[in-house]
Amino acid sequence: MNNRFFSLLRKELVDAARDKRSVMAGLYYAIFVPIFMAAMMMVLIDKITSAEDLGITISNAATAPDLIAFLDNQGIRHSDDKSETKAIEIIIGVSYAEQMRRAEPAEVILIADGSEENLQSAIRRTQRTLQNYSAEMAGLRLIARGINPRIMNSLNVKMQDQGSSESKGGQLIAMIILFMLLSIFVSGMNLAIDTSAGERERNSLALLLSHPISLRQLIVSKVCAVSIFGMLALVLVLIMSKFIYPMVPWQELGFSVDIGLSFMIATLIAGAFIAIFAASMQLFVSFMAKSFKEAQTYISFVLFVPMVLSYAVTFDLATDELRWAPVTGQLQALIDLMKGKEIPLLQLTVSCLSTLIISVALVLGMERLLKSEKIVFGL
Amino acid sequence: MISVSNLSKKIGDVQALDGLSFHAEDGQITGLLGPNGAGKTTCLRTIFGLLKADQGIATINGIDVAIKPVEAKQQLGLFPDPFGIYERLTPREYIRYFAELSGLSRRGALDATNKVIDDLQLEDIADRRCKGFSQGQRMKTALAQAIVHKPKNIVLDEPTRGLDVMSTRVLRDMLRKLKSEGHCILFSSHVMQEVASLCDRVVVMADGKAVAIGSPQELCEQTNQTSLEEAFIALIGTDEGIAA
Repeated sequence: MNNRFFSLLRKELVDAARDKRSVMAGLYYAIFVPIFMAAMMMVLIDKITSAEDLGITISNAATAPDLIAFLDNQGIRHSDDKSETKAIEIIIGVSYAEQMRRAEPAEVILIADGSEENLQSAIRRTQRTLQNYSAEMAGLRLIARGINPRIMNSLNVKMQDQGSSESKGGQLIAMIILFMLLSIFVSGMNLAIDTSAGERERNSLALLLSHPISLRQLIVSKVCAVSIFGMLALVLVLIMSKFIYPMVPWQELGFSVDIGLSFMIATLIAGAFIAIFAASMQLFVSFMAKSFKEAQTYISFVLFVPMVLSYAVTFDLATDELRWAPVTGQLQALIDLMKGKEIPLLQLTVSCLSTLIISVALVLGMERLLKSEKIVFGL
Repeated sequence: MISVSNLSKKIGDVQALDGLSFHAEDGQITGLLGPNGAGKTTCLRTIFGLLKADQGIATINGIDVAIKPVEAKQQLGLFPDPFGIYERLTPREYIRYFAELSGLSRRGALDATNKVIDDLQLEDIADRRCKGFSQGQRMKTALAQAIVHKPKNIVLDEPTRGLDVMSTRVLRDMLRKLKSEGHCILFSSHVMQEVASLCDRVVVMADGKAVAIGSPQELCEQTNQTSLEEAFIALIGTDEGIAA
């Protein structure tokens, strides 16, 4: 019994290791995704943390040196370089200096296309800066007349930006871990198809079933082989991540991404459940398909479900409910671990158990499928 | 010994087997001869328990395939059509794999594999991957797989299809040798010459039924014809789907 199981498993692994397509699928993902993610993170962090200089066109600047200096302090300045100049123009009125001196509202014209989506934040920033200058001047005038400028402020609005660096950073961590776990699905996929739909396409399935083996031995050995492939990819991704992610300047966001030994072990344990689930799901779907191509189509549809659920987690949607579910439960636990939060053990256990139960159900389902003459011979 | 009695099987709207009965004795080569679509492959698949008969039973050495599939398959070797070769394995790995699946130990499978490679003179290709093999090389690999565990009963589905003269001779010699060793050999074919030269008994099949059973000689006498081909046509009423 055991002897035959190991013969089956050994053959599946040897066969898979010699299949360039299967090996490459895993390797490419494991190597290039961490690199790609790290590069993306670097760009993102740069964008999040620094307010860039804003180049605009300022006409008649000589009339209002003080205003120009104020704008310059806020990173808004005139630029002649067309490539980095936004389509925003400030025209200082001809009698600006005279009006200022007489404490009349001095004319400043702001020209921009308000319907232009890309300009929205730049326009708002320019407007805000001009208003700030206006308020500052008004305050000075009141002080000159012996009035406390605070009487101008009837509201005291305090803005608390929820999009702080830290919560943005949380999304980035979630993305990193999501893509780690997805490696299990991606790298096992080709093997799953090859060993099921491919087996039938090459006419070896009927031969295999003509031998004195039980369907359960056959299916479990295939699930094991695909899971092992998925886990190998996960190990590779973890190793790559350990070396690549420290290059990203996380400290600018106020946290660190430390892929330490404990995180790796936790990921491998959680990943093992997901690997078994991914393998049985992909095998089940490809056994139903008549050909390799058909299986590829089905699997991409099915992959969509855990993908969407996991994206929901990364963007903080229905996170409490999804803690109980397969894949998303493990994903959230790992995110918590990385953020240094406490892991809700009950939810994690339920999620792991449900992952296993679904896998067992899929294995039993495959046994039924392979008992069907229609499936085995494609009748 | 392989024996089927009153086997019926409907696939879709087609009555593929319709009360088929015959048996194949040990130490004999039994041929299932019939035109395309007579139900030969369906019959062989039912013997392996891959298809479930609507009615009737198939037994291998007295074991009912439908009731004890694993025990029954233990007594069988299959030479399938198509061969079902794993292109990324070498013949040595391929043969050993199926030997292990047939119940041999790792060590036993290794010895049996070396022996069968020797018997079939596969040595020159034994450690090359099967991708790119000629039809003859594939046939030898598949045949080695079917007999490596020395099953009492060997079933071959259209074994000579697509083979050249030399490969056909290798196959024939092997079948005769196995017969002399007391194995029960059952093969399906629609090639008359093949059946006439090899078989001790012929089961002539048409429309899922056995229309006549006997030695080639007996079939000729039964129909008052001089050649098996004429006898066959007389039996099934047409020569459609048969290769001379």
